[in-house]
Amino acid sequence: MTEKLSRSVVQPRNPRLNVSRNANLPHVPGIRIGDYIFLSGMGPIDPQTGERNHGPITEQIRTTLRNMQHMLESAGSSLERVVRVHVVLADISDMPEMERVYREFFPIDPPARTAWSMQLRFGNGCEIECVALAT
Amino acid sequence: MTPRREIVASVRALDAGSSFGRSVSMVVRGGDFLFVSSLAAVDPHSGEHVRGTTASETRQILTNLEHLLEAAGSSLDKVVKVNVLLHTMLEAPNMNEVYARFFPEPPPARTVCGARLPDGAKVIIECTALA
Amino acid sequence: MREVIAAPLPGLDLRQHYGHHQSPAIRAGGLIFCSGMLPVDPETGERRHGTLTSEAHVIFGNLKLLLESAGSSLDRLVQVHALIYDSIEYDVLNRVYRQYVANGPPARTVWTAQIEAGFKVQLDVIAAT
Repeated sequence: MTEKLSRSVVQPRNPRLNVSRNANLPHVPGIRIGDYIFLSGMGPIDPQTGERNHGPITEQIRTTLRNMQHMLESAGSSLERVVRVHVVLADISDMPEMERVYREFFPIDPPARTAWSMQLRFGNGCEIECVALAT
Repeated sequence: MTPRREIVASVRALDAGSSFGRSVSMVVRGGDFLFVSSLAAVDPHSGEHVRGTTASETRQILTNLEHLLEAAGSSLDKVVKVNVLLHTMLEAPNMNEVYARFFPEPPPARTVCGARLPDGAKVIIECTALA
Repeated sequence: MREVIAAPLPGLDLRQHYGHHQSPAIRAGGLIFCSGMLPVDPETGERRHGTLTSEAHVIFGNLKLLLESAGSSLDRLVQVHALIYDSIEYDVLNRVYRQYVANGPPARTVWTAQIEAGFKVQLDVIAAT
């Protein structure tokens, strides 16, 4: 019988990015479990104001990935430790622009990725979720 | 001990990262697991998308997946979880019929849902396997 | 090594009832990967269509049974994909969802997706052992 892995909550250093708490939602920004960090899906929240940033899709992707980077670094991890990303776009035709920005964040040895389109809430153009190694 | 993260060398034409200029690694080792990117139906020699029915695309995808996993030192019987995205859930039985022929007993856990898929794909499949 | 978590009650064997080529859950590497859980009666496997709320209650009940049979629990959830058929029901989802994850909720992403058999909700979860 394997030992139970310890489970802890990941919080961003910047409290404006703690959407779970700020919007009183039944989730946490991320969970650390054993070697892994599972992050909740993130959207384009302005880290200065905590408000949604609804500019062009390139800006939304950039904001979201910067926030994801902050979240991982707050937990002692990094973008280089990401193993899997899910990118959900409100509009499937935004894929090429997403690609252009995404590669800025994962230039070398990028993680596994699945990208597709679904209806998103709050007028968000994107929602991005990832799994990373904790260390 | 720091868990290993590495990009696993994959079957060349299936490396969509190089074929289509996408910032994606098809198979990433992280700790005990292999995280496999979504696969759409591509020809394993040319890397070109192969459009067909949901059933034929499923067959192409899982054939390619089998090769990818074996090249990575794993196998279909080490897959723990599969996510299948379909362009419509009406095609789920057709996907399932092909899918059932690939995964040996006992099959991995799975979630299937319908969504809008890139490049006109009828089905895309991602999975996580033991390394 | 990976290990199959068998259906603790016959209704949760979706393979037997619906031909879905999947195991209810797989344990590996200290984690439990569950197949997307649907609102089916845990004894009979019959579909329990209803409101999003009623369907979510059935799903959580089924997950509780499955995870506890594997030595885990809803308190050990680490990641959830909450599939809902329409994002208009987001608040409804939250109202029922929070009842089950009060002791430290997991990470979550909500997917607005087309779900099998016209169900309004499905939960795709990973838990720790």
